[in-house]
Amino acid sequence: MATSGKIIEVKDLKKYYNRGAIKALDGVTVDINKGDVAVVIGPSGSGKSTFLRSLNLLEDPTAGSILFEGVDITKKKYTKAEDSTGRTVTVKVDVDQHRQKMGMVFQHFNLFPHMTILDNMTLAPVKVKGMSKKEAEEKALALLDRVGLKDRAGAYPIQLSGGQKQRVAIVRALAMEPDVMLFDEPTSALDPEMVGEVLDVMKGLAKEGMTMVVVTHEMGFAREVGNRVLFMDGGKLLEEGSPTDIFEHPKHPRLQDFLSKVL
Amino acid sequence: MIKIENFPRILPFLQMFKEGIGVTVLLSLCTVLIGFALALVLAVMRMSNFRPFLMLAHAFPKVFGFFERDKEGLKLDSGFLYHMGRFNPFSFLATAYVEIIRSTPVLVQIWIIYYGVFNAIKLPAFKLFGFIAFNRFLPGAVTLGINSAAYLCEIIRSGMQSVDGGQTEAARSLGLKQLQNLRYIIMPQALKNILPAIANEFVTIIKESAIVWTIGVADIMAAVNAVKGATYIIMEPLIVAAGIYFCLCFPTSKLIAYAERRMRRGDVR
Repeated sequence: MATSGKIIEVKDLKKYYNRGAIKALDGVTVDINKGDVAVVIGPSGSGKSTFLRSLNLLEDPTAGSILFEGVDITKKKYTKAEDSTGRTVTVKVDVDQHRQKMGMVFQHFNLFPHMTILDNMTLAPVKVKGMSKKEAEEKALALLDRVGLKDRAGAYPIQLSGGQKQRVAIVRALAMEPDVMLFDEPTSALDPEMVGEVLDVMKGLAKEGMTMVVVTHEMGFAREVGNRVLFMDGGKLLEEGSPTDIFEHPKHPRLQDFLSKVL
Repeated sequence: MIKIENFPRILPFLQMFKEGIGVTVLLSLCTVLIGFALALVLAVMRMSNFRPFLMLAHAFPKVFGFFERDKEGLKLDSGFLYHMGRFNPFSFLATAYVEIIRSTPVLVQIWIIYYGVFNAIKLPAFKLFGFIAFNRFLPGAVTLGINSAAYLCEIIRSGMQSVDGGQTEAARSLGLKQLQNLRYIIMPQALKNILPAIANEFVTIIKESAIVWTIGVADIMAAVNAVKGATYIIMEPLIVAAGIYFCLCFPTSKLIAYAERRMRRGDVR
C-alpha cells in the first residue's frame, strides 16, 4: 500500500437527501489506521450509522471520497491510485471486491433465515471467493467453535437467541477474512443479558489486532476497548480522541452535553 | 332444463372428453413452463440495475458527468437529469410488456397471435400423441404463456420486494454480486412468500385455457360443442365439463398448499 498504516481515508464525505434539505453527513474527514478500534458515538440521527454504511457503499455518498487501501471506492469505474512503487496508475474499481474485505455486522443480524448456520457462513466463501465447500465448512466450524456455537452449525437462525445470532453474524463476516470489520450498533437489538456475550467476542477480535469501526451506544465498550473515539452530531465529526480524552476531558459543548446524558 | 336421461347421450363422445382433458392438462403444463420462464426473465429485468446514462457518466465523467452530479460535484437526487440517469431500458421494456398484456383481453391476444403471428409462421400440421393438432396447440400455449407471464412477473416482483432489505445488505456486504444475491438469498425466500399467489395463477391458467377452443384446439370445451352440435343438449355436457375442470383445479391448489406447508417448516422452532 502506498499509504501504509492508513486503511481507510475518508475525505469530506457528504450524504444529502432532498437536494440538501437533509444533511445526514455534512463533510466528514477521518482516517482509520490498521489495528484501530474506532468507536463512533453520538445521539440518534447524528449520522453515525450513515457514516458507517457509507464505508462499504451501502449508502451512496453525495460527495467526497473514501480511499480503501489506497483506492477511491466512490469512483464507479476507474480511479487513480499509487502502486507499491509509488507510481500513479489507473485501477478499475469493483465495489464487490472491496466489500469482501470489509466485514459488516448489522443491528438486526440479517442472517439468511432459509439457510442453516453453516450454510450462512459458507455461502460467500464458496460463491464469492471460490473456496471448496469442504474447506469453507472446516473454516466455518473452527470459527463457530471460537464463539462457542459449534454444536449449533446445523440449526436455523430462528432457533438461536439474539446473542447467538449476532455471534454467528460476526463469524459469518470473519469467514471472508476481511481487513476491516464494521459494526452497526451490534448490541442495540439485544436483550440486556445477551449484550455481554457479543461484546466479549468483539473484545477478543480487538485483542487480535483486527481493525474495527464500531457504532455503538455502549460507552463502557468505547472506553475499555476503543483506542479512538469519534463523536458525531448533526452529520459532522465534532471531536475525536483517545477514550480518556473524550470521556474525561471532553472539549466540545455538544459532547459534554451528550456525555452528561448518557453516563 | 337438466334431464338425467340426457347424460347417457354424452357417452358416445367419451373419447373426445378424454382427449380434451389430455389437451387441457398438457396445455396448462406448457403454459406454466413458458409463463414461469418468461416471468422470471421479466422480473429480473424489472429489478435489474442497468442504467446506460449513468454508465456513460461513470466511464466519461468529464463529458457525461451531468447525468450523475451537479455543477458543484454533488450527486443529483431529483430532477430530469437524475431520472434520465436512473433510466433502465430493460426495466422499461418489461414494465411496458406487463402493462400492455394486463390491459388487453386474452381473447384479443390469442386471435392476434393465431391469425396474425402464426399466419406468417407456417407450422407443420402433425398430431401430437395422435390427437393434439400441433399447429393450433402451439399458438394457444404460447399465447397463454405470454399472458400469464405478465401476471406471474408481478407476483414474483412483489415477492422479491417483500424480502427484508437487510438481507440484500448482508449479502452485498459479504461481496455477493447482484445476481448472486437474487439467486441465493432473495429468490428462495420470495418463492415461499408468493406460493399462494402462484397457486392461484396456476389454477387460473387451467381454467382460462378453455379459451383456446376459439382457435380450434380440441380441448374439453370442443367436446362440449361436439355434443351440442350432434344432440342439441347443452346443459348436461356443460355440467360434465364443469366437473372435469373442478377435478383438475381443486387438487392442484391443494397440492400447492401442501408444498407451502412443507416449506414453512423452516420457520418454526
